[in-house]
Formats: sequence, structure tokens, C-alpha cells
Amino acid sequence: MSFGYLIRRVITSIPTILFVAFLVFIVMHLVPGDVVDMMLGTQNYLTQEQIQELYRQYGLDKPLIVQFGIWLKNLAALDFGTSLRTGKKVIDLIFDRFPVTLELSVLSMFFATIIGIPLGITAAIKRNSFLDGLVRVIGLIGLSSPSFWVGAILIVIFAGLFEEFNIFGYVPLKENFLKNLQVMFLPSLTLGLMLSAQIMRMTRSSMLDVLQQEYIKTAKAKGVSYSKVIGKHALKNALIPIITLSGIQLGYLLAGTIVIENMFALPGLGRLLLQAVNERDYPVIQFVVMFIAFLIVALNIIVDFIYTFVDPRVELR
Amino acid sequence: MKTVKGVVLMRKFLVTILTIFAIVGIFAAGGKLVIAMETEPVGLDPHLVTAFASHRILENVYDSLLKYGEGMKLVPNLAEEAQAVDPYTIVFKIREGVKFHDGTPLTIEDVLFSFQRILNPDTKSPAAAFYQDVESIKAIGDNKIEFKLKKPMASALLPNFAGVNSSIVSKKFVESAKNMQLETNGTGPFYLAEYVPGNYITLKKNPYYYVKDQPYVDEIKIVFMPEEVSRVAALKNGDVDIAKINEPLNLKQFPEGKFKVYRSPVLSYYLIGINTTRKPLNDPRVRNALNYAINREAIIKAVAFSEGVVTGPLNPAVQPWALQPKAFDEYTYNPAKAKELLAQAGYPNGFEFEIVTSQRYNFDKVAQVIQAQLAEVGVKVKINLVEWGIFIKRWRESDFDAFISMNSGSIEPDIQFYRTFHTGGSTNVFLYSNPRVDELLDLGRSEVDISKRKAIYDELQRLLVKESPIIFLYSANQIFVSNASVEGFKLLANESLVFLRETYKK
Repeated sequence: MSFGYLIRRVITSIPTILFVAFLVFIVMHLVPGDVVDMMLGTQNYLTQEQIQELYRQYGLDKPLIVQFGIWLKNLAALDFGTSLRTGKKVIDLIFDRFPVTLELSVLSMFFATIIGIPLGITAAIKRNSFLDGLVRVIGLIGLSSPSFWVGAILIVIFAGLFEEFNIFGYVPLKENFLKNLQVMFLPSLTLGLMLSAQIMRMTRSSMLDVLQQEYIKTAKAKGVSYSKVIGKHALKNALIPIITLSGIQLGYLLAGTIVIENMFALPGLGRLLLQAVNERDYPVIQFVVMFIAFLIVALNIIVDFIYTFVDPRVELR
Repeated sequence: MKTVKGVVLMRKFLVTILTIFAIVGIFAAGGKLVIAMETEPVGLDPHLVTAFASHRILENVYDSLLKYGEGMKLVPNLAEEAQAVDPYTIVFKIREGVKFHDGTPLTIEDVLFSFQRILNPDTKSPAAAFYQDVESIKAIGDNKIEFKLKKPMASALLPNFAGVNSSIVSKKFVESAKNMQLETNGTGPFYLAEYVPGNYITLKKNPYYYVKDQPYVDEIKIVFMPEEVSRVAALKNGDVDIAKINEPLNLKQFPEGKFKVYRSPVLSYYLIGINTTRKPLNDPRVRNALNYAINREAIIKAVAFSEGVVTGPLNPAVQPWALQPKAFDEYTYNPAKAKELLAQAGYPNGFEFEIVTSQRYNFDKVAQVIQAQLAEVGVKVKINLVEWGIFIKRWRESDFDAFISMNSGSIEPDIQFYRTFHTGGSTNVFLYSNPRVDELLDLGRSEVDISKRKAIYDELQRLLVKESPIIFLYSANQIFVSNASVEGFKLLANESLVFLRETYKK
């Protein structure tokens, strides 16, 4: 692992992020219906001149490529734009919303791993047993259930069973730690359950691979305790694909889990993005998407670095 | 075989976490009123907002000269008295002793300034369109304001003074270069204490509110929950006190005694809008055939689970000017007559057209029922479901054979009809033009005599049904549910929540 590698990765990822920004820019402006349409709705109270004036004010009368250029120029000057609909600075909106999504993502990954990895290991050890079959069937159900369905079922169950349980009413972590955890519990469990299915399957197949290796036999033969064989010799080597998968999953989660955030009324990034797309609030869409692209790129680099810790043979050059 | 240690540890860990979460559950809500709504405001400037969700918040924060009382009656608000002196003149006497939320007193200057701001083309206020026929506004003494009109339309204009877009703002506050989309300073019963986008708005009692004992609660928290299943669960669970319910089926989940259900007819209505310039729907006989072929009761049953009323050009449940839908022969389901009209118009075997609509407020379901009903008379409907933004674009450009949507109505027929049906009207996307309709609209606007005015709008309604540039369908009830401890909560036909100031918990 070298510092030079990190620098190279960072530099090569800049074009990726800018390309994503460009793509989103073009696509959002090509979609019929713009911010002025959304503002007027089916009321249409402005005169034609006033509407043109509005386009001028928003800078939407200029050619697309010029608009993109202006946006880039502002970006270089660290001006991330202002929401056309609410008048708020986009950067403030992201600061408000991102912690929610981050917490949701981390908690979901937490649930996914504490459910997925042990189940995967168990299924691999007891291969072809009833337990293995059961775990695999549950995994398949988890993979194929849509999140809005799982979420709705969990809401109904929890609302029915625990009347005192706060399902809704998000409060920030620093404001009320316990209430925050309570409100975040169901949404992260929903996402965690669904992600755990993938992690479980990956753990199982990866463990099966490793368990058949010669060195496991050697370890067993020289009398290493069973739990040590599994926990140290096998699991550590089986972890690489699991880490890759978790990294990708975390990326998806950070991109904002639109459905779950809507369902549980959480003020996260996904909900901000959905609302911005519905309102055609270009500056917000633009920066949120770029921010997400940045996160995913960063996450990929971090995952690469984690490899070197788990498997010393991996060297980043 | 041995159990893996890690699994046991994880299991213990999980149990611990669940226990913690359960213990935390004992924290319960305080004494304030919590309401779950589906949408959140888009901007807070009362003169600019168009989003319905913004109106519902701001009508509790700002006051207008007039307001709607029970039964949608116009009652005084910041104006103690409103007088249509003659058809060209309205005089308001401004209430004394009113203060803005920042403590500054309301003056005639603020009232004048508010209307100047609305009428200034740079403001781009939707309300400017309402007041385009105002000739002059001036103060008389220090507590009266006079509106002179270009056309004799004083009484038709009055309801506009009750709208959120006609709110009275503080001149000093606006001029101190505040961003009105982000900050508020009104005279209403509540002031906006906190707004966390994507989460909630907190309204707190305005200690200066001019009605002495109101509002009854100290604090109202409006939480935004886009999903109905969440609102239902939050209400059942006690996380919120009042919730907006869209799916009548969900009412079964609220047993009587533990919950109260509020329902009321509304002014907004579902419609099929028709491009009256495209063949074959440019022929009034063809449009009328569709009228006969549509079974409105069946739509209400299938889509709204009977929570709605059939409406004509005006909704008889809420508008005193309305003719009963039963008074129109065209609104009686009669497929045989529909076929006969189609044959007369030269389409004995029916025809095909496209309905553009969007997946919101059950538009898609209404479209499906209509598709099935029209198929029975040989008319083939192609439903084109598009995203809302695309819908608006096509709506504005009249790029449709027909569409299904919802229009907001008004208790004042002039407001509801004029720009929708007048030739070249700003929301006349049907490209409908009929000289007699134009004439009636202009007459109705300026007629002062109630019975003559009634005759004008009666004729207009009949004409609109006969010609059907719009096929009026139905008006769905608005439904709210609260827990049993909530008292004084009432609904209005314009779907506003002004009665929150009289709501409290036992």
C-alpha cells in the first residue's frame, strides 16, 4: 500500500465523478417538464412574459452546454448552488440529510452482517443439512422480497405488538440518542434483513470453497480446535468476497434508500433526491448525485485498502 | 457438532439490543398536537406558494383580510368589515390592535404594501391574476383601504381576499431583505417555530393573536409521512394524534370509540379534459356520447369505495350555485343513447383515443374504469401513464386527445370557470371556444343581482354539460382520522386546516 497509489486513485476518479455529473445534467434537462412547469402545475397563473422572465432568472434560457459550464465554474469556486424551489443552499441541505442516510446505512450493514455472516457460516458447516436448506430458502425469500413489502409487514407487526414503541418521528442522534435508535431500528432492520440474504449466500459459498482447501485439513489434522479452524483459518480467508459485496451494498445504501426513507418518513438523502426530481430542482439533483458518485468512488478505494489488511498477499501499487 | 462461539455471541448481542430498544419504547409523546400529512411545503412566501402543502401551513401562520368560516362562508379576518360599496368599489376596515409575530403592530401601510407586492409583476405572484382588474388601491384615513375596479365585479372578487396568496405581510420585515421563502412573520394564530425539511414543522401559539383565547393548543407538530401505511401505523401507535387518510379501505383499521373519523366533500373534482380541436373529439356529439357512456357512480364505488359524490360543473355538496348533476340528462348512465349519438356523429363502430394521465390521486384507476366503461359502447381508450412533470408539460401545451386529472374548485363560480372556459383563458388547455360561454362568463362576473346571476350560471352550467369540453366526474371526500382525545377538529371544503386553532386534546 503506497501513498502514490492513493493519489493516483483519487486523480483518476475525478473524471468519473464529472462524467456522472454531466450525464445527470443532460438527462434531467432532457426529461420533459422543467422546474417552471412544476412550479405552475396545472394552475398556470403567469403571463408568457413572466414565464420567460422566470427562465431567464434561473438561467434556463441559455444553451445546455453553457448552463453546464456555468455550473462547473461555480463548482470550482465552491459554490454548490441554491435550491430553485426552497431557496436553501444545496450544501446545507446535504449536511442536514446525509447524517440520516449514513446512520441508516451503517445500521443496516450492521444488521445485515450480524444476521448474514453467522447464518452463512452455519449453512456452510452443515452443508446439505435441513438447516442449510432452511437458511437457503429464507435467503431466497429475502432476495426476492421488495423492501416496501418487508417494511410494511414490519410496521404492521411492530405497531401491533409494541404499542409503546416509537416507529416514527425521527430525531437526530445527538438530540436524543435512545429515541433516535428506536426510530432507526425498523428501517435498518428492513434493509438489513434484505441485504443479509446476499451476504449470507456469499458467506456460504465462499466458506464452502475455503473449507475444501488442503490447509484446512492440515489445520484439523494437527489438532487445532474446530472453532479456531472456522473462525481463524477459514473465515478470514473467506472474507474478501464478502467485503467486496458489503462495500458495493454500502454504496447502494449511501445513495439514499428512497423507498425506505419515504416509508419510515426519515429525512435522508434519498428522500431529498426524490423530492428534487419531482420538483425538477436542478441544482439539488445535480449536486446530490455528484455527492453520491463521490461517496461510491471513495468507498471503492477504501474497500481496496481493507483488502490489504485482511489478506497480506494483496498489494496495492 | 459444536456450535460456533461467534454465533452464540451474536445471538446474545441481538437479544441485548432488542431489549434496549424495547425499554426505550417507554418514552411517550408530550401534550402537544401531532399531525401526519403526506406532503411537505415547497417554499413559505405566502404571495408565491402554489403547493397545496404550503397553503395548509401558511393559512395558520398568516392572515388575509377575509377567511372562510364553517360551511365555506366568507367571514372577517384582518378586515373587521368588508363592504362592496358598489360593483366597482370594495372598502375594508382594518382591525385594530393586531400584531405581527415579531411584535410590531399591523398598520394600513402593511396592508397597502402587501397588495402592491402581489401586483408587482416582478413578484410573480399567482394572486396577481386575481386582481388584474383592480384599477387602484388606496388608504382612506388610517384604518380603511379602498379597491377601485375596472369592471363591476366586486362580489365575484371578494373570495380572493380570503386566500393564502392574499396574505398580509409586514412591510418592514419584507424590506429588511429577508428571504420570504425561508422565514415567516405573519399575524396568524401560530408562528413557525421550526422547520426541518423532510421531517416536520413545528407551529407554536402566537401570544399576540387577535382572537383572545385562540389557539387552544400551545404547539402543533406537523410531520411529513409520504406513505399511507406509515400514517396509519403512526396513528394507531399513538405517534401522531391526527392523520390524513387517502385510502378509504384503511378506515377499517380504526375502531370507533378509540378513533374519530372526519370526512367532508371538497371543491376539487376529477375530470376528463378534452382537446376540443382534435378529431373526433372536436364534435360535441361525440363528447356527449362519452358523457352518457360513463357510469359515474360505478367509478366512485370502484375507485373511492363510495367516499365521494357525483359532480357537475359545480359540486352540489359544497357550492350554492350548483345545479344537481341529476338535472342533466347527460349525466345519467345510458349506453344506448351514447351509441346513438356516436352513430349520428358518423362513428357507429366507435373510435379510438388516448387518455394521458399520471399515477397520483388514483388517476390511473379512474382511467382504467373509464376504459372498461367506454369499451362497452365501442370506444377504445389507450391509457398513457406518464410521470407528473411530463403530464404538466403535455397539459400546458394541450398535447393530448384527453387527460384525467383533478382541478381545484372555488365557491365562487367566476373563479372556478373564467380562466378555464373563456376563450384563450390561462387554464383553458382544452382550447375550447364558444362565444355564448364567453358572454355568460363576462356577464356573470359583473352581475350584482343574485337571482339574475344565478340564471346566468345556470345557463352556463347547462351549456358546459351539453358541450362538455370537460367531462366532470366526481369529487372525493377528504378523510382525516384522529384519536378519541382530539376535540374541535373540523374540515373545510377547500381542504384547509384553519380549524387547527380551535382543536385541542382532552
